[in-house]
Amino acid sequence: MDYVIALAGNPNSGKTTLFNELTGSKQHVGNWPGVTVDKKEGVYKKDKNIKILDLPGTYSLSPYSAEEIIARDYIVKNKPDVVINIVDGTNIERNLYLTLQIAETKIPMVVAMNMMDEVESQGDKIDCEKLKNILGVPVIPIVARNGKGLDKLMAEAVKVAKDKPLGKKLEVFDENISNAVNAISELLIESNNDSSSVKAISTEAQWKAIKLVENDEIVSSTLSDNKRAAVEKIVREAEKNADGDTEAKIADLRYQFITKTVNTAVKKSKKGYVETKSDKIDKILTNRFLALPIFAIIMYLMFAITFSENFLLIEGLPSPGVWLAGLAEGLWGSFADVVDGLIANASPVVYSLIMDGVIEGLGAIIGFIPLVWVLYLLISFLEDCGYMARIAFVMDRIFRRFGLSGRSFIPLLMGFGCGVPAVMATRTLDSEKDRTITTIITAFMPCGAKLPIFAMFVSTFFAGNNKTLVTYSLYMLSIVVAIVVSLILNKFVYKSATSNFVMELPRYRVPTIKSIAIHGWEKVKGFAVKAGTVIFISTILIWLLSNFNINSFNGVNAANNEDGVIMAEMDDSFLASVGNAVAPVFKPLGFGEWRPTVGVATGWIAKEMVVVTLAQLYDDDVSPEYLEGYFSQYNQEELEELGFEDGQYDEEAAFDIYTEGILWEGEDENALSTMKDDIKTKAAAYSYMVFNLLCMPCFAAVGATKRELKSWKLTGAAVGTQMLTAYIVAFVVYTVGSLIA
Amino acid sequence: MSLMMVPLGETKIVTEFRGKDDMKRHLQDLGVVKGEKIQVVGETSSGLILLIKGVRIALNRGLASLIIVN
Repeated sequence: MDYVIALAGNPNSGKTTLFNELTGSKQHVGNWPGVTVDKKEGVYKKDKNIKILDLPGTYSLSPYSAEEIIARDYIVKNKPDVVINIVDGTNIERNLYLTLQIAETKIPMVVAMNMMDEVESQGDKIDCEKLKNILGVPVIPIVARNGKGLDKLMAEAVKVAKDKPLGKKLEVFDENISNAVNAISELLIESNNDSSSVKAISTEAQWKAIKLVENDEIVSSTLSDNKRAAVEKIVREAEKNADGDTEAKIADLRYQFITKTVNTAVKKSKKGYVETKSDKIDKILTNRFLALPIFAIIMYLMFAITFSENFLLIEGLPSPGVWLAGLAEGLWGSFADVVDGLIANASPVVYSLIMDGVIEGLGAIIGFIPLVWVLYLLISFLEDCGYMARIAFVMDRIFRRFGLSGRSFIPLLMGFGCGVPAVMATRTLDSEKDRTITTIITAFMPCGAKLPIFAMFVSTFFAGNNKTLVTYSLYMLSIVVAIVVSLILNKFVYKSATSNFVMELPRYRVPTIKSIAIHGWEKVKGFAVKAGTVIFISTILIWLLSNFNINSFNGVNAANNEDGVIMAEMDDSFLASVGNAVAPVFKPLGFGEWRPTVGVATGWIAKEMVVVTLAQLYDDDVSPEYLEGYFSQYNQEELEELGFEDGQYDEEAAFDIYTEGILWEGEDENALSTMKDDIKTKAAAYSYMVFNLLCMPCFAAVGATKRELKSWKLTGAAVGTQMLTAYIVAFVVYTVGSLIA
Repeated sequence: MSLMMVPLGETKIVTEFRGKDDMKRHLQDLGVVKGEKIQVVGETSSGLILLIKGVRIALNRGLASLIIVN
């Protein structure tokens, strides 16, 4: 017999930790409310017939945010065989509020009383037997982090799933509320006498009735007009006897029941407020004056560790991120050499496909997977230790001025790594307005995949300038544009007040290395998979389109070329024809030629493709003939200094030395001459970077956007906003830049 | 009085919430209900940190001013 077990609990109650322990899966565990932004599925590692679902953390079954709706919908509609309700024992009063609500659904339940070690070390005692008697469901003490009590928990859960005991009727409500609930549930059952069992109907009606007395709009909207009117009459009557507010009354009654329960079953060693270590840390990190400077330093360190070429201000010392990136590129280079040796004798078409298409294409992105990984490790660390929740709070005051909540900060920060997890993180935002605007402006962030574009253009066109400053200006521009667009959307599209900020501040914890590593990998995985599939396929596609034309297939090329090769010159290819047709659109932005146009379009497959495409399309600029000509100006001594072994010119080494040494340093004034024919000025180059920075993100991110906004119309509007913004800003940059220069 | 006027460190009893229904419901879920003890344990430039039912909750000034205590 197969069972489905759902894990439900408050954010930060240890749900995901429990899930990982039970399934052996490597889900990430964060110290940030909302880590499980989607439900996750696994199989119990000790019994493959048991399916385990990790639901997003929720405070109640009256959902407030989008992720809470996922949890409620699953519990109420899909009806798992048993719900394991994880309760944080150190925070039992607030956690039992959800427990009572799950009990109301009559879905079989087991309570897992988590963090029992911390409860003990605080000197408190929780009597699980007594709790079990009061709540009428098994209550099992566990420590999810070290697996204590989990076997017993699962044995109990399976037993409950098998027996499906009818929960005990809890005396939570007063007479007034009980009467209203009963009256409504009778009303709901009356007209609903179809074939399904009476018992099932009455449990569901009972739950719906409670929600209706609580004024739940979602349940209310499923009723017919007649019935809704009848229900409203009953609720209004009940409100008269509940100080005009049945919803508050119900919450109050639940908490009263919990207080009674806790007084019976829990012994606390200390009463009242005790200043914890967390509180002391908060006094510094959220301090009115220190909070922002500390935050700025932490952000600076984070980006320095990831991207700095002069780490700790030491000239030439690479940061861990840059060092790893170099390592990855080196390994890929050696791999390319091996492949090159293996296929040296293959036909020209196959050789070109593998070397120019696949190896070169993937090579362009291998280098920054480590960068994204390091960045996400650091973000994970900040999340796991609990600081991220504080940053959101500290930033709230600033974000509020731009019409956003401090919670929007996290998605935007993640946008510096990869837009896909960033867009998914918008699900933790409270209001639809915040979610939509944050999703749109997340696309403006300079994600890891956009960095190669900056690296290539800044080093090619701004070699004589302060390159760091130019790159920095793009970062600043993305933030300014995000703010301005947010303000405009707030003012002209939504016209509503900013939603309020309320968030639980979890205790500070020292994150485990395992948890951070898992977290970092979880986020970078999507990115790496994308590189392995979408980018792989699209590099081949671009290679095809840029090396062939119609004459490749009707024999004209084969007849014209001496050696019978059917491939076409690039400026005569399929790609050139399409690019030429679209290019005029970009004339006002300074790069209305077919090759840059194609670069923009392939950027939508994945932003890193812009560089890959340009490298493929302008490969005449780094052809062996050109390189030989360029290096002929140097004598033997100079060649040795540049990195040629024994000062001997070597065709194979020349490419790397040229791109990494000469080109990036901007030492060859005639470099990339064909590219400079298309993108003539610094203003045009900057405009090209700006357009790629701000325009529609890659398809993977657009897909994530559609999933979060849940409508093609809104997604279309979001992409439209991004394209329009990119066009306007790039136009202004090019026009103003051209005037200055 | 509103929660914004409560001095740091003091404990008060919640008497009323003057905001919208959905926020009221969310606050109830977090433990902010009528008759509950609430202590201001931190003040930042964004708002207040409260201790309620043993949990620390951060909220912005606008929201804090809607919570009435005595």
